[in-house]
Amino acid sequence: MLMLPEIIVIAAAVAVLILDLFLTERGRAALAYMAMGGLAAAFLATLLAAPPAGEMLGGRFGMDGVAWWFKLLFLLTGFVTVVISADLLDGGARVRMRGIGFRGEYYCLLLFSITGMMVLISARDLVSLYVSLELATIPLFVLAAWRRGDAQSGEAGLKYVIIGALASALILYGLGILYGLTGQTDLAAIRGALQDGPAFWLAAALLMAGAGFKLTIVPFHMWAADVYQGAPAPVTAYLSVGSKAAGLAFLFQLFFRVFGANTAHWGMLVALLAAATMTLGNLVAIAQENIKRFMAFSAISQAGYFLLGFLGATDDGVAAMLFYLLVYAATNLTVFACIVWYSNETGREEIKDYRGLSRTNPLVALAMTVGLFSLAGIPPFSGFVGKFFLFSIASKAGLHWLVAVAAVNSTISLYYYLRIVRQMYIEPTFEGAERLRISRRLALTVGALAVSQVFLGILPFFYENVRAHTVGWIAALMK
Amino acid sequence: MGLASWLIAVPFLTAVAVALTPARRVRMIRWVAAVGCGIQLLLTAVLACRYWRLASPEAASMKDALLSKLYLVERVPWFPSLGIQYFVGVDGISVAMIILTSIIIFTGVLASWRVETRAKEFFALLLILVTGVFGVFLSFDLFLLLMFYELAVLPMYLLIGVWGTGPKEYSAMKLTLMLLVGSAFVLVGILALYHGAGLHTFDLQQLAGAHFSTGFQRWVFPMIFVGFGVIGALYPLHTWSPDGHSSAPTAVSMLHAGVLMKLGGYGALRVAVYLLPEGAKMWGLFFMALTTINILYGAFGAIVQKDLKYFIAYSSVSHCGFVLFGVAALNLIAFKGAVIQMFSHGIMTGLFFALTGMVYGRTHTRMIPEMGGLAKVMPWLATAFYVAGLASLGLPGLSGFIAESHVFLGGFFGNPWMNGLVTRTLTIIATLSIVVTAVYVLRGLAKVFQGPITDRHFEKLTDADPSEKIATGLLMATLFFVGLMPWFLINLVESSLMPIVNRLHASGMAAAWH
Repeated sequence: MLMLPEIIVIAAAVAVLILDLFLTERGRAALAYMAMGGLAAAFLATLLAAPPAGEMLGGRFGMDGVAWWFKLLFLLTGFVTVVISADLLDGGARVRMRGIGFRGEYYCLLLFSITGMMVLISARDLVSLYVSLELATIPLFVLAAWRRGDAQSGEAGLKYVIIGALASALILYGLGILYGLTGQTDLAAIRGALQDGPAFWLAAALLMAGAGFKLTIVPFHMWAADVYQGAPAPVTAYLSVGSKAAGLAFLFQLFFRVFGANTAHWGMLVALLAAATMTLGNLVAIAQENIKRFMAFSAISQAGYFLLGFLGATDDGVAAMLFYLLVYAATNLTVFACIVWYSNETGREEIKDYRGLSRTNPLVALAMTVGLFSLAGIPPFSGFVGKFFLFSIASKAGLHWLVAVAAVNSTISLYYYLRIVRQMYIEPTFEGAERLRISRRLALTVGALAVSQVFLGILPFFYENVRAHTVGWIAALMK
Repeated sequence: MGLASWLIAVPFLTAVAVALTPARRVRMIRWVAAVGCGIQLLLTAVLACRYWRLASPEAASMKDALLSKLYLVERVPWFPSLGIQYFVGVDGISVAMIILTSIIIFTGVLASWRVETRAKEFFALLLILVTGVFGVFLSFDLFLLLMFYELAVLPMYLLIGVWGTGPKEYSAMKLTLMLLVGSAFVLVGILALYHGAGLHTFDLQQLAGAHFSTGFQRWVFPMIFVGFGVIGALYPLHTWSPDGHSSAPTAVSMLHAGVLMKLGGYGALRVAVYLLPEGAKMWGLFFMALTTINILYGAFGAIVQKDLKYFIAYSSVSHCGFVLFGVAALNLIAFKGAVIQMFSHGIMTGLFFALTGMVYGRTHTRMIPEMGGLAKVMPWLATAFYVAGLASLGLPGLSGFIAESHVFLGGFFGNPWMNGLVTRTLTIIATLSIVVTAVYVLRGLAKVFQGPITDRHFEKLTDADPSEKIATGLLMATLFFVGLMPWFLINLVESSLMPIVNRLHASGMAAAWH
């Protein structure tokens, strides 16, 4: 039953929504566990579905090694997002946020979005590709505006809707042109029938613009800062990891499955986009004061690193991108879990408000430091290993200048990550600051994520596993 | 698990032990750190003996070797699909550097006995830093080497930023960023080597057997040399050094100037010159000129300093210039000089910084004009300072003389690929720095220690206490040992340097490789 994981997630979503009608306000705390249970079940179902290959629905829904890994990542990200949202939504935060609640709808939308992402990577047909992309994105528009009565949150949602709708329109137009050019809706058939030419370039440009929006590539990145800053922190966490993973999945589908060999000359374009994204994201991040906005620019620059994996269209690149996605997800969620916790306990979101955290809550500060160092690419954390493998792809393609740009950018990024570390460790604490409490659920999550930073990179198991599942994937596609 | 892995594991395990000790029990933390470093010192002694027994019989055969001979090798595949292994081992150069590091960390821990605030994090970070350093000296897989190298750089930020003095945040940030930009260039170079060789491996020995085209070597060699040169205080990328060393706490300065800066010379020799001999021949003259500027710039910079730590920091820039000068001179004598200078300067500067910390802890000032006549109240510290100072200006009988004489002889003899007139001129100019060094050392020390006591309060100061005597005594003894009986160190490194020189002669003749 190839579609079992997706079915489980949808069932969980619907169950959460309906159960919400019958539960009392106190009983609604169970909804989080219901969502977590659904995601865990789907994760197990995906994990045990070996070998991960096959097709159904007349070839419109397919599974292979790459899709398998993506689904595991989506489910894991969703699970952690539910855990870090739970405290805030249940009213367990010390600083209650006004206008936040509606747990049933929240988890339901989140689960729908995850389903959309899972179907996105399995789509083998134009229509299912587009519909799943929409299913993945539209719930996020709503989730970004979750804080009722808060102008910033509403603005974030509105900006996201407008720009997201524009991106969707561009994608639809591009897909339409592809249909017009080839007369096919099956992605493999399109790839076979597609020929280089001005119409193809137009379609490609439109689709790249849409995909660039999702993945926050420069110059399509402008929405990210305001949306990330305005949305509630757990939603920002999900946007920075899940939505990016979906964008990467969409780009995978486009680049390898739809465009195929026509992208042989695209190396320079991808390289330039990557360089621009890394550099701009890094430079603007230096000036940020709000931590969520800061993480938005950090996420933008990380998207640039992902693009490096597309150079040369090799199996190594696919493996490197998937591995870095795993690393990036774990790292970003570590940092965001700490951000969510801190804003729950103190209501503060400015970088300078993190002063002296190492003295009041040393372990949380350590977890956050581990996450930040891993994002900066410092050994022995997994970010270093992941980035090294991605840079290797660029070097293999002969673009040594790009490797230099990427490596120097990594160093620049350390500067702004160190700003936060400095606040936590070097700056003195506020007067009267005391140890903040942390729920056991959140402490466990933060701890597990931080520890994973050390092991994901050192233990070869994870990378070798990704490699084993993706070797020969491109060759199989091109057949 | 072999001896090499234990040498990396022991400081790491000590760091873990320190991290697990309750933060209030400061005495216990210090003792845990000291015992850990003591064990490391013992292991190093074992390493030196075992290396001696293994390598001495084969030393003669190295005269024509083209590949370094490694001992105590451990090889475990790590990321097999990418050709990355956990590949550690030693040769003579590694052993010399490991001895240096063990001595410096042990004396550094002793010199930090008085650290009170957040002692647990301090010692843990220090030990993690030194794990990285040991790792670099023991790795022969380029990925592993780079990983340990970057591991060694980052704790510096926290160590200087939290426990430092003066403009510590600025210094810490500048140091960290500049060193990491250097390692970024090394990363570019390493990836280029990996893909350029086409052997799908990061193994140093296998890469040594690969052939790299001249054009390739022309840009990769300077990239890696400069990348490592940043931490070796290569002019003009040395600017992180004066601020960094002066703002850092004592043990951190000792470790940094004493050991970390040697990573630069080590990397330049082990990776850049060993793997890319043609590139070395093309760029040797340029780097000799640059390092000559280093030597003089550091020396002149030291003359005008009023702060004792800046004074020593600029002296370090100058002496580290000798190391890279020796590496760039591309002959056996110069290489020997470079490695001996790495060892000698490491000990000497470790002694300098330790003493500065001890003097500052007593007088509460680092400004030279404010101090005077201290030899009357602290004879031991004054003597130690003079020993270090005389070593730095190359007085025979101390290790500095051995190192500098080798470097100057090597530079003067030159090599077949560089214009003899130019190398001789550069060497003569570099030699003149001895005069400048003598000026600043003797003048500075005379002001601080000789003459009448300038401040009444100084009359009540105490001399070194037992732990300080042990630390400074050990360092002074090492300086004398290498100075009076240099053949141990020279023999240790000579046979390991021969392959590098042989490769320089053999490159350009493709048939000579196999």
